[in-house]
Amino acid sequence: MKIRSVTIALTIVLIPFILGGVLFNARLHSTAAEKGSFISDTRYENKGINHKEISIDWSFCPDWQYKPLFFPAKEYFVFVFHYKNDSEYDIELVPSYTFISPRHRRYPANEEISMYIEDDVEDELGITDETSMSYKISPGATKHYIVTFEKPENLNHFYIDVDIFRDDTLRLYYEKKGGTWVNANNELIDKYRGRG
Amino acid sequence: MFRRIVKNFGPEWGAAVMGTAALCITMQLSSEVARPFSALLYVGLGFYLLTTVMFIAFLIPWTLRFFMYPEEVRKDLSHPIKGNFFPTMPISFILAGTGTNKLGPMLFGPEFSYHLSVIFFFLGVIGIFTFGYLLVRIHFLNREMRLNDANFSWFIPPVSHLIIPVLGTCLLDVYWAGTALASVLFVISMVALGVGFFNFLFVGSMVWRRYVCGTIPQGNLAPTIMIGIAPTAIMVVFLIKFIEAIEASHGTLFGINFAAVFPFIKISAAILWGFSFWWFFLVIILVTHYIKIKEHPLGFSWWAYTFPLEAFIVSTGLLAKCVAPYFFRGALIGLNTLAVAIWVVVVFATIKWLESGAFFKQQH
Repeated sequence: MKIRSVTIALTIVLIPFILGGVLFNARLHSTAAEKGSFISDTRYENKGINHKEISIDWSFCPDWQYKPLFFPAKEYFVFVFHYKNDSEYDIELVPSYTFISPRHRRYPANEEISMYIEDDVEDELGITDETSMSYKISPGATKHYIVTFEKPENLNHFYIDVDIFRDDTLRLYYEKKGGTWVNANNELIDKYRGRG
Repeated sequence: MFRRIVKNFGPEWGAAVMGTAALCITMQLSSEVARPFSALLYVGLGFYLLTTVMFIAFLIPWTLRFFMYPEEVRKDLSHPIKGNFFPTMPISFILAGTGTNKLGPMLFGPEFSYHLSVIFFFLGVIGIFTFGYLLVRIHFLNREMRLNDANFSWFIPPVSHLIIPVLGTCLLDVYWAGTALASVLFVISMVALGVGFFNFLFVGSMVWRRYVCGTIPQGNLAPTIMIGIAPTAIMVVFLIKFIEAIEASHGTLFGINFAAVFPFIKISAAILWGFSFWWFFLVIILVTHYIKIKEHPLGFSWWAYTFPLEAFIVSTGLLAKCVAPYFFRGALIGLNTLAVAIWVVVVFATIKWLESGAFFKQQH
């Protein structure tokens, strides 16, 4: 191969890695301004729920900022769920999450944004995210799951559905009181299982 | 010079875009395995940007050729090997859409990215169905076609249809779930899945017959054996993304309660992955044979080694999310490293192939 050809090939091959390095560096230096703060954590407020030998706690950040490279920053609701297995046996969890705004508009969790902010959230809470479609929790162990929702404008109340049990959905209600988001109520509701 | 480039710009160049585009997804999945691999997400973004440049650079001469040299295009379309590469450019639209769906939010934010992905989806669908019908028509009406013309490049049209539901379900997963567009995406995805699945079975049996009853193709077609890994791997990707789309719709999609069949879907995905895994070793056996008999010449066809393997890696990474995570995560990292190594070799091989002047000496 001629030197010119080798140079061209090398340039093409290195482009993704150099670009990746530059973007990674840029992100490292900009995250400080992008973070939000977790305003509540049921682990420390004793407000978690224990159902069917699973302790469920959650941390909530109402204004996590994420800035795309070419677009202005946007705020997101970020929940981190902490599942502890209180039983004597392994359990397998397959959780899913839905955000419901007034007029019953439903939004699924945005796994892409969760993926981008994962490292910062882990650092903020000192946890390791186990985001996956399903995972096993050994007796006494706790696993964590980052859930991000896009934030509709002019919102003053919403609820989210946490589908983790076969028969019930955990519903968490939030309201804005005095400019602050407050966890107003939580309940377990029966699931409609349909006719298949 | 530009006119000469356009004249010789064969349909196969989409394969280079495909082979580069899928790496951005394999990188993104690998970055999720553990904290030390987080930076791979940004390498994936680098591959996404490189793909965008390649896609635009190749799409221009590829499109111009239809208007400036329609005779050349007609000859290529009737060719038993080259003709099947026409859908690679529409597939690139679907892959660009998938990359934009996964990594676009890092650059443009979610809203813009999800809209852009939908545009890529519809452009890809139009191209894939158009070339799908065109190629079937040519195959059915061609009186020259013989048993020994069947080869694994014939898998490309079925693969192109199978890949539609992958982006379709990615789009259904988050932004478009519950919107009026969701049912359109769902129906198109299901139609394409049906077309791709049955065409894969029909074409697969024809190519199998040629390999058993006829003679095996010349060495320049050796890399196309790798294409056989793709159909089942893409079906795995579809099934796992389908589960995620169903979850985004609370277990019920268009009145059908899918939550009850999740375990069945996961088992089916694992079985299909198994076939691709088996095929991976079949590729090693057959390519070793070609190398042994010194029939593995340098050529553009080497790009056939990239995308199918990467599709297999994506299926491995997605399967890790719901079945035997430790095994599949390990396999994901190992295979991703292999895919990058192969991609590097293929880029160098392509430049060497261009240097030899083979680009301007192509025969129909």
